[in-house]
Amino acid sequence: MEDGLILWALLVIPFLGGFCCILSSKGFTIRWIACATVWTMLATAFVSLWIVSIEGAIQAAHGWLFLDMLSSYHVVLLQVVFALSTLFAKSYFPAEIAHNAFNSALLPRYGMLWLSALGAMNLVFVSNNIGIMWVGVEATTLITAFLICIHVTPKSLEAMWKYLIMCSVGVALAFIGTMLVGAAGGNLKGSHSQSLLWTFLYENAGSLNPFFMKMAFLFLVVGYGTKAGFAPMHSWLPDAHSQAPAPVSALFSGFLLSTAFYCIMRYLPLVEMATGKTGWAMDILVFFGLFSIIIAAAFMVFQQDIKRLLAYSSIEHIGIMAVGLGLGGVGTFAALFHLLNHSMGKPLCFFSAGKLVQIYGTNSIYRIKNALKITPVWATGFFLSFLALIGMAPFAIFMSKFQILKAIIEKADYISLALFLFGCAVVFISALRYMLLILWGESEANIHPQKAYKKDIFLVAFPMLVLLILGLFMPEFLQNILQKAANIIQGY
Amino acid sequence: MEQLINMLMVVILLTNLLLLGSSRMGTCIPTLGFQGILLGLALPVLLFLPQGITTHILVLVLITIPLRGILFPFILFRVIRKTNIQREIEPFISYPVSIFLGILALVLAFWMNSRLTGMSVPSLHPLLLPVAFYTILVGLILIVSRKLAINQVLGYIVMENGMYVLGIAFAGEVHLLLELGVLMDVFVAVFVMSIAIYRISREFDHIDVNQLQNLKD
Repeated sequence: MEDGLILWALLVIPFLGGFCCILSSKGFTIRWIACATVWTMLATAFVSLWIVSIEGAIQAAHGWLFLDMLSSYHVVLLQVVFALSTLFAKSYFPAEIAHNAFNSALLPRYGMLWLSALGAMNLVFVSNNIGIMWVGVEATTLITAFLICIHVTPKSLEAMWKYLIMCSVGVALAFIGTMLVGAAGGNLKGSHSQSLLWTFLYENAGSLNPFFMKMAFLFLVVGYGTKAGFAPMHSWLPDAHSQAPAPVSALFSGFLLSTAFYCIMRYLPLVEMATGKTGWAMDILVFFGLFSIIIAAAFMVFQQDIKRLLAYSSIEHIGIMAVGLGLGGVGTFAALFHLLNHSMGKPLCFFSAGKLVQIYGTNSIYRIKNALKITPVWATGFFLSFLALIGMAPFAIFMSKFQILKAIIEKADYISLALFLFGCAVVFISALRYMLLILWGESEANIHPQKAYKKDIFLVAFPMLVLLILGLFMPEFLQNILQKAANIIQGY
Repeated sequence: MEQLINMLMVVILLTNLLLLGSSRMGTCIPTLGFQGILLGLALPVLLFLPQGITTHILVLVLITIPLRGILFPFILFRVIRKTNIQREIEPFISYPVSIFLGILALVLAFWMNSRLTGMSVPSLHPLLLPVAFYTILVGLILIVSRKLAINQVLGYIVMENGMYVLGIAFAGEVHLLLELGVLMDVFVAVFVMSIAIYRISREFDHIDVNQLQNLKD
């Protein structure tokens, strides 16, 4: 019973915080509520991880709420990304208000949307019923839509509309998939209310109807894949990421995509076990992954907008994770490790880019120059995090990419190997070129050097230290967590 | 009884064709509401009548009808009034082509159904699945083939109607909590979309999706 309480806490606290936000009117109070909620959630998430690692999976509400190692791992990462983004938002929005880019009267509403988004994502992770999981994903789309157009401009409204329509329709397709999974279990024994519970389907995965599961998986990959940013369903993603304010972009890239990707992770073992482990579903993921990597690489070469550049980089990383997941074995482990690394590096990258955009007043790469002189902290943050993201050696992303590469070589799939390496190389070169321009290029504009705050230094140093340490050695507890989560996906 | 259900299915199919073929929002929106009432009242009652009406069905009917039959059309009319847009629909493709696509979709829906039948799915009624697929396909056609943002919302609602039927077809009586969750999502989606349209019209003085092309690489 006490174990179940923590699941309710994960769900209820964010919405409660959001409700408090809408009741208050002062900016100070709202910032305080947001921080308190986020830090409480961070602590709750770590406690839940601790409970799960000792006692195994926990359940509540007659099995409708459920937390195992896979979801617990995601929950902790989500809260970390959220805590960092909230911390950054606290220094980002006052500057926006000073520039008259943001009306502070709207603060309660956005505070509510921000915290409710956290609640909706937690709902995705803790729900055992795959229908409720779908409800959670759709809710994240609806809640985050208005966060994109915090700065009301024609462009941001366009981005919001595209996001709203594409993701709603995409996620609606995933609902068809969910219903098909329910139909695939139609001949299973068991009470009617169990038929959509993930744990029930997982236990009986061998006797699910294979034809229905295959149909369902196609709908699910296209549906949730739209939200996860798989090419060719990605066209909303660069628009939304480039128009949203930096903390929101960081959240989108750092964890909204992974939330949808998590749903695909949940279905993968069901489909694989139902079809007799032939690797049918995994090949589909490898295909979408490689396609996303190549498309992202192609669009990164001639990119002029700094935030669009990062958005395409997110598509590339989701692609890399999909490839890892599709390979199985070491690949699954590496994909989960890559998820951690990406959600450490990418938010920092968006924070720094957001600050650069704020200081220079433009998104164009060719007009942001000589950043190292003007804002040393954020320029360093941008440089190091982007370097880590494209796979530079001492950082952890190099390790996870390397493991995925090893998994491809073990499978002796040389076409995939060539495409993977080609995509990563193109991204590496084009990103490096832009980075040099931004950091050291001669600037004509006359911009005063900016003061660095302690908080900024923490925001830059913390993720980079994590990436550096994990790149040098992997602690045993993390290895255990990742291995247990990977085992769930592989169906052991 | 059987004939009544068959007739109901055919009427639902016809409302979809009407949605594809009519040129005025003044026709489309009431048609949508009519479809919502058919789905919300007639379908569950007729299908589940042999088992007796449970509280589950009663709650569902009492929520679905006000929502799909009355509130959604009301919201759409309100958006039109508030944004002062013209009530012509402006499709990318002409109405005869729309109708033709609709008939193709009907063939496709029956073909999909023929692939699925005999796959050990306990179906409540043989026409349920094709009607569901057809309604979803018509919703998709409406979303991609119309220029005004409000028509995309209309298409989205039609698609959601289809998914409601699909849920009944595949899962029979889904748990009430799940059903309510889905309904709440749909309601919030329509609500959010109408606010979005209102904001777009205020910023652009039009809601023509075709002209939203500022963002590209």
